[in-house]
Amino acid sequence: MCSITKENVFDAISTVIDPEVGFNLVEMGLIYDAIIDEETCNVHVVMTLSTQGCPLHQMITTWVKEATERIEDVGEVEVEVVWEPAWNISMADDNVKQALGGM
Amino acid sequence: MKAISSDFAPPLKLISPFFSAGVIFYLLSMIALLFFEPSFAYEQMDVAGWLHLFLLGFVMMIIFGAMAQLVPVVLEAGHAVVDVYYVIFPLLLTGASLMVIGFWIIPQILPYGGLLVLVAMIIFAVENMATLKKTTISTLTIKTVAWSNGYLLLGILTGFAIALGFSGYLSINIPLMLKAHVYAVLGGYVVLTIIGLSLILIPMFSLAHGFKEDAIQRAFKLVIVGVGIVFAGALFSQKWLMYIGYTINTIGVLFYIWQIYIIAKLTVRKELDVWAKSMIFAFGSLVFSIMTGLVALVTNDQAMLHATVWFLLLGFVSSMITGHLYKIVPFLVWFERFAPLVGKEKVPMLHEMYSKEGAAMMFNFTVAGVVLGGFGLLFESNMLFKAGASFLFGGALFLFIGMRKMLAYGK
Repeated sequence: MCSITKENVFDAISTVIDPEVGFNLVEMGLIYDAIIDEETCNVHVVMTLSTQGCPLHQMITTWVKEATERIEDVGEVEVEVVWEPAWNISMADDNVKQALGGM
Repeated sequence: MKAISSDFAPPLKLISPFFSAGVIFYLLSMIALLFFEPSFAYEQMDVAGWLHLFLLGFVMMIIFGAMAQLVPVVLEAGHAVVDVYYVIFPLLLTGASLMVIGFWIIPQILPYGGLLVLVAMIIFAVENMATLKKTTISTLTIKTVAWSNGYLLLGILTGFAIALGFSGYLSINIPLMLKAHVYAVLGGYVVLTIIGLSLILIPMFSLAHGFKEDAIQRAFKLVIVGVGIVFAGALFSQKWLMYIGYTINTIGVLFYIWQIYIIAKLTVRKELDVWAKSMIFAFGSLVFSIMTGLVALVTNDQAMLHATVWFLLLGFVSSMITGHLYKIVPFLVWFERFAPLVGKEKVPMLHEMYSKEGAAMMFNFTVAGVVLGGFGLLFESNMLFKAGASFLFGGALFLFIGMRKMLAYGK
């Protein structure tokens, strides 16, 4: 039985910061889901990016993978980038909206 | 999963010379402005020299460096032969320098400079075309890259013919060929490239989403057709054809401005950093230059025409480029020096990699310079023009220092 929770995964990914805006990916609302296999502790992260033409695309997914792999007893980690639903500012935490001037 | 490989990104040492040299050429252009008078003719050799110093040395140099980085991002494919940029840089640097010296001091070396620039641009255009062939996607920006490269080649060929004409090697109608050349390079390459890249970069940096692209699609088609018509009109000496082309182009640019307005309304990021301020000033200058341009077209007022070109080049094109330098250069440096350290140690944010005060001084001096210089041209006031040129020199100095610091950050 795997003891890793979705919160553990989100906490781990919250160490990854977007260098352009200065917020972590979780508070930006870019991490949509983390599916954890209860038998193997494999983690499948579903995320998006704020723009499709992001030059950091591959690097950010690598950082997410590495951050998740640092969780104790984690199995295989896979990161999937999806474009639906498209990210928008309403998905971000209030502090992000406030700092960006969207509130 | 749609992934853009980091492996596609060219190394900093390949791109940074373009940005460093471009900013030095910008500084030199602003120094040279101090020695100009506000009344002139575009056929004057010293004016042609300044235009090449600015357009080839600064605008083209920076665009080439930016394209080396952005083409793989836009096309989602690696460069066909990225190492050609190591050849393009010295060719463009030497060619542009020789051309400026040719215009200013020794006309005989003009064709040699022109030839070097021609070779650099042919290599650039062919490499871009080869890279375009590798992509499987088809977006507006990709079509823009293809069309703009085609116009670049036409512009360079006509430019080379002019260089041969100036130095007496070829008998051609220089004023007509000059119009075709200016339109192919400025309208066909620079403006189309800016339109295409705007659609990628402006929403990316402003975090604007969910907008329709109808307006920019129309802008793109109208500018392509309009430039082609003006080019043909100039080549075959048909003024009426050129006026049709001007009109189509103006409508195209208005659609482009409308698209930017749509994006601006959806902007999430309200922070007014040097990039955002530069964009506002750039588009304000573009709108102003369209208004003065229309008046110049109706009245045939040369001072008005000079002010139009001034606000278009130094207000719009220049601010678009300098504003983006404060986003692109920190990113390139960060990508090279800090990205590998993420998760291992604290890394800087991009906005921490340049002095906010220095950037603000660059912006304020440049705005003052463009406005004063533009009105100096408009009213043919030597004092206003010199004051503008002095402020622009100050702004260029802050840009130069800021660029040196950004490129050296974390070394």
